[in-house]
Amino acid sequence: MSSSDDPARREGRYDRRELIRKAGAGAVSVGVAGSGLGQAFYGPLRFKGRWLKGDLSLITWVHFVPAFDTWFDKTWAVQWGQKNDVDVKIDHILNTLLTARSTAEVAAKSGHDIFFNLSPQAQFEDDVISHNEIVQEVQRKVGKIGRIAHKATYNPKTKKYFAFSDNYVPDPVIWRHDIWNAIGLSPNNWDNVRKAAPKLKAAGHPIGIGQSANDVDSNMALMSFLMCFGSFIQDQKHRVTIKSKRTVEALKFMADIYQRGETDEIFGWDPSGNNNFIYSGKGSMIFNAISATRTPEDRGLPFANDLWIWPIPKGPHGRMAYEHVMGCWWIWKFAKNKAAAKKFLADLEINYRDAFMASKFYNFPSFPGAMSFSRIRKAVASDKHRPLGKYGILTTIAQKYTTNPGHPGYANAAFGEMFNKSIIPKMFAEVSQKKMTPQEAVNAADRELKQIYAKWRKLKKI
Amino acid sequence: MLATQKLDSITGRGTDVEAFGRALREKGLSYLIVGPFAILLAFPFYVMVITAFKDQTEFYNPDITPYWFGKDSPTWHNASFLFHNTDYPKWLANTAIVGLCVVGITLVLALPAGYALARLAGRVGQGLGVGIFLTYLVPPTLLFIPFFWVINQVHLQNSIWSLVLVYPSFTVPFSTWLLMGFFKTIPQELEDAALVDGASRVKTLTRIIFPISIPGILTVVIFSFSLVVNEFVYAFTFISPSEHKMLSPGVYTDLIRGDLPEWGTIMVAALIPSIPLALLYNTFLDRFIAGFTGGAFR
Repeated sequence: MSSSDDPARREGRYDRRELIRKAGAGAVSVGVAGSGLGQAFYGPLRFKGRWLKGDLSLITWVHFVPAFDTWFDKTWAVQWGQKNDVDVKIDHILNTLLTARSTAEVAAKSGHDIFFNLSPQAQFEDDVISHNEIVQEVQRKVGKIGRIAHKATYNPKTKKYFAFSDNYVPDPVIWRHDIWNAIGLSPNNWDNVRKAAPKLKAAGHPIGIGQSANDVDSNMALMSFLMCFGSFIQDQKHRVTIKSKRTVEALKFMADIYQRGETDEIFGWDPSGNNNFIYSGKGSMIFNAISATRTPEDRGLPFANDLWIWPIPKGPHGRMAYEHVMGCWWIWKFAKNKAAAKKFLADLEINYRDAFMASKFYNFPSFPGAMSFSRIRKAVASDKHRPLGKYGILTTIAQKYTTNPGHPGYANAAFGEMFNKSIIPKMFAEVSQKKMTPQEAVNAADRELKQIYAKWRKLKKI
Repeated sequence: MLATQKLDSITGRGTDVEAFGRALREKGLSYLIVGPFAILLAFPFYVMVITAFKDQTEFYNPDITPYWFGKDSPTWHNASFLFHNTDYPKWLANTAIVGLCVVGITLVLALPAGYALARLAGRVGQGLGVGIFLTYLVPPTLLFIPFFWVINQVHLQNSIWSLVLVYPSFTVPFSTWLLMGFFKTIPQELEDAALVDGASRVKTLTRIIFPISIPGILTVVIFSFSLVVNEFVYAFTFISPSEHKMLSPGVYTDLIRGDLPEWGTIMVAALIPSIPLALLYNTFLDRFIAGFTGGAFR
């Protein structure tokens, strides 16, 4: 992939790599990693007997928890590389740039061996290998893949795992307990939120549910909101089902919350917008992963202990949310070291306990057996931030109130394109800003979605 | 005598007052119009400086942000973090190396090209010059994918030399077009006189034309360097490893963690290269304006 990996083209930087390369194959010890026991497992089982020397390059995001990147780059990858005689080179870029970068690599048919993104990228299915082998290997070690990861990365039409998910992130609501307490309400259900919205705004603490086309948080929050009202983008057979009375009702509901309880800034947010909103002390409620509580804790902001974590409020159809983000890796067809890439991902997931702890409970393993929910509960219970035990709700959210993108169907290329084009936030914004009536906005979104789905159906991807 | 002297002195003072009043009338209006714009444009730099030296716990305090410091500021922590915990010094070095190389290549290519098109190519030269300039207008967002393919073919990915190869694709067209207009302002008679005196074309260029063209050349140097420093799409696409990054993508990709921008560090990172660029523009402002407008009157 990269010129810097080829000795003929390197600029003399990598003496260590040449040493490792020349060290010879070496025996690879067979280890048994008990599922969930957290033992290190670096030796191959399925890959026994294969030569695994050379280089491995991968690109991933800059994790909001610096300690995770430090663990991943300097502990995990280094130790794995030494055990497997592979020099692992990891690049990090901002998550919002991952899609552009992956597009460039596909177009050039050259780039990193393994690519990462925070959502399944089904549109690359034809450019990546089948990851079924990796999933099977991990399942042999730690048990079945979780429902969320399975439905997010598997194409039932082609029977191919087009990505390998190592983690997902539950998506709670983060709210200021002190501010809500002052008005005598809590965001237990959406009716309460609507009731509280004008009171909170009058108190100088508006709600912050984004409706921005430039923001993954807005996308996830609003699609989850739709599900609470019984409205879904697609059904189990991957037919577009957005056009319904429930969608219209949801649009009216959110428009009312905006008009009486939010401010215009929500239309222009990027992924850090709602975070800054809550960090400023102004916001009273946002949808976000726990980065929105960890940062105030780390920065010692005065209201850090007043930030509570709850599941998404309950709507007429119940409580359901997508995961906030999902870590998805894939191996390009043009990858130079596919064997090492497969083993790297398999080993990473099998030993996911360390990753979970390094991420400060941000990354939940996509294979529940890698770290069981009971062990997760124990781990989060040890967190000392106040209110004590507040992170315990994450397990409940993950188990009961989190589903995959594309629910009740599978994530697919059409759903991915819908997501990348921010069709749902645009639909909500048009109604909230009174540019369209709810029915008009639903009709427009329905037309656009049907075109997208027709295209991918024609390509036989759904 | 005394009365005359008195009258002179009174007249002198009156003259001074008149002159002052005239100056105030002439310039006061200009300052009145330009002043608010200057304050508006300078305000982001003011915020940048304040934020660069502000403690990170104070970013979210609306009572002091963005106008002033809190009780824990000013602080060197952000600058210290930038230089000790990131690859920022390497980004600066990479940017300087690429900038100097690209400026050199641009001058080597654009100077003779601009002269040739201005002097030797006649009406065809005019059209060709416009055509060359139009290539500058093609946005990098259209070209970064094919360029990425080319960079991979020549095995320069993840190397700063990929940018040295690609950046002249937009600095040379613009500089050629700029210099073409500038060379046209130089009287043909100067060259004719030199040629009549026995100087070769090259000697005429180096001894007469180029020294006169210093403002244009300086404009090309400053403008090309600015383009290199500010360019993002190619620098981001061609280079992944942090230690090889350029300033623009490095600051954006490495100093924003997920949904958490490190504001103080970002502002320090932006402030440092701004200062020499601002000094450069300020020092050569007259020549810069002359270079840009030199071709406007032909």
